[in-house]
Amino acid sequence: MTPLGTGFRSLLKREILRFVRRPRNTFIPPAITNVLYFAVFGVILGDRIAEIQGYDYILFILPGLVVLGAISNAFENASFSIFHGRWNEYIHEVLTSPLPYSSQVLAYVAASALRGLVVGVIIVVVGLLFVPFAIDGGRVPVRKPLYLAAFMLTIVTLFAAFGVVGGLWARDFDYLTVLNQFILRPLTFFGGVFYSLETLPEFWAQVSLLNPMVYMVNGVRYGFLGYTDVNANLSLAVLVGLTVVVVGLDVLLFRRGYGIIE
Amino acid sequence: MTAIRANGLVKEYGDVRALDGLSFEVAEGEFFGLLGPNGAGKTTFINILVGLARSTAGSAEVFGHDVESEYQEARNRIGLAPQEFNVDRFFPIREVLEHKAGYHGVAPDEAARRADEALKTVGIYDKRDTRFDWLSGGMKRRFLLARALVTDPDLLILDEPTAGVDVELRRELWELVQRLNDDGTTVLLTTHYIEEAERLCDTVAIMDAGRKVEVASPDDLRGRGEDTLVVTLADAPESVPAFDREGVYGATLDGTDLSVTVDDAGSRAAAVIRALDRGGYEVTNLDLRRASLEEVFVGMTRADTDAGGEVTR
Repeated sequence: MTPLGTGFRSLLKREILRFVRRPRNTFIPPAITNVLYFAVFGVILGDRIAEIQGYDYILFILPGLVVLGAISNAFENASFSIFHGRWNEYIHEVLTSPLPYSSQVLAYVAASALRGLVVGVIIVVVGLLFVPFAIDGGRVPVRKPLYLAAFMLTIVTLFAAFGVVGGLWARDFDYLTVLNQFILRPLTFFGGVFYSLETLPEFWAQVSLLNPMVYMVNGVRYGFLGYTDVNANLSLAVLVGLTVVVVGLDVLLFRRGYGIIE
Repeated sequence: MTAIRANGLVKEYGDVRALDGLSFEVAEGEFFGLLGPNGAGKTTFINILVGLARSTAGSAEVFGHDVESEYQEARNRIGLAPQEFNVDRFFPIREVLEHKAGYHGVAPDEAARRADEALKTVGIYDKRDTRFDWLSGGMKRRFLLARALVTDPDLLILDEPTAGVDVELRRELWELVQRLNDDGTTVLLTTHYIEEAERLCDTVAIMDAGRKVEVASPDDLRGRGEDTLVVTLADAPESVPAFDREGVYGATLDGTDLSVTVDDAGSRAAAVIRALDRGGYEVTNLDLRRASLEEVFVGMTRADTDAGGEVTR
């Protein structure tokens, strides 16, 4: 059985159908959340906030909101799908099949990354609707489309891969909540979604550089606006490297049966 | 060709030893029963074959493929109907079958055809658009069998397939599985229903405390049990007649009914009647009661437990 053959495509299809058929759980919540973000921070408060690095506030926060929605959905998809499958034991349908472990992991990661990308696009669309309200004749620029595509693909894959680890590690549904609410969300909020690092005191700006989200948010912001607080190429290289490592870890965990095999 | 070969399988969960050096073979095409009390290690053994558990020591092969180093080849040959209802709850059952066939490398068109065929085979095709949770208990059992069949396995593993189903469905499932076996599918069956094993299996392994206690045909096993000759006498004797004969283990008396325990009822009956005749007893009726597989099973597993103080459960 080839790694990307019929077996892989079957699991990929199953995983994609799972979230596509439940938009009320998968696509509508981030759409509503981001309508609120854009309305409150972009339109209502955005008027009272000075431009950051020469950009209207709504344009400055848009890339960060895209990152926040995309990575949390990529993470949630993989972690939920795997944990729910473990909880109800139907992941056995995959585990008892001849599908290679690498194919199993790639199917879970690819489907979850796709959900992250779709959510990212939904957030951009919501942004497109609100930007004209905040800025007369405003539109959303995409100054570095290749960087945008590369950063988005990399970070949704990375967080889908983290989601696989979370799904294998979780012993209860509470674990998933903990990961998303207490780790992912704070890191993203302090990752420069709503502010530039240059607005921080020097000490906190340096501390922020330890937060991996800073590089993701800035990378995607570079794709949209052409502006970044950190080196885009270095950020991309490090993120790609990290993604390869985490996907490799996923395959290793599946091979060892961590959390799934007695 | 050997369908299953287990060689010194050990499985430990912390201090608990679920399998304790289990070794046996199942020939291709055989209908093989695995009997044992709860906790004997039957499901653990099955989980090792299908990749849901890793052995601590020893090895297992399916059609010559090691279940760990050649897991893809081994799993491709196996269809499993487990005890638990471990079915994908997100999709209608027809799609669940299509996905399962797909994981085994079956192309979409063929997977769809097989899904329909499997649902028809087990008689729940009209429920194809229903999700698993909405099926009745009996239909759930049928579905597990359909899911095992959709990959067209050479080895069908049935772990308590008729647990909790009514008599009619049980017989239907028996007939279906028997047909599959007649067509060449090797079947490994675990069951608590001894009648199921007696009726279906060519060979039975009795397991206890993670070890194989015995492997034989149901007839052979029955032959190892003690039969009973129930002799009705014309008059109630004052005491139990004495039998000093080979193969006769003892006798008890209940009014005019004399129960004589023997190794084999068929070959000892004549000698027992002759001995009673010579003793002046008038025999009016004779009833031969063969040992049941259940009695043999209980005797073997109890004896093992009683003697096996060192066995770690």
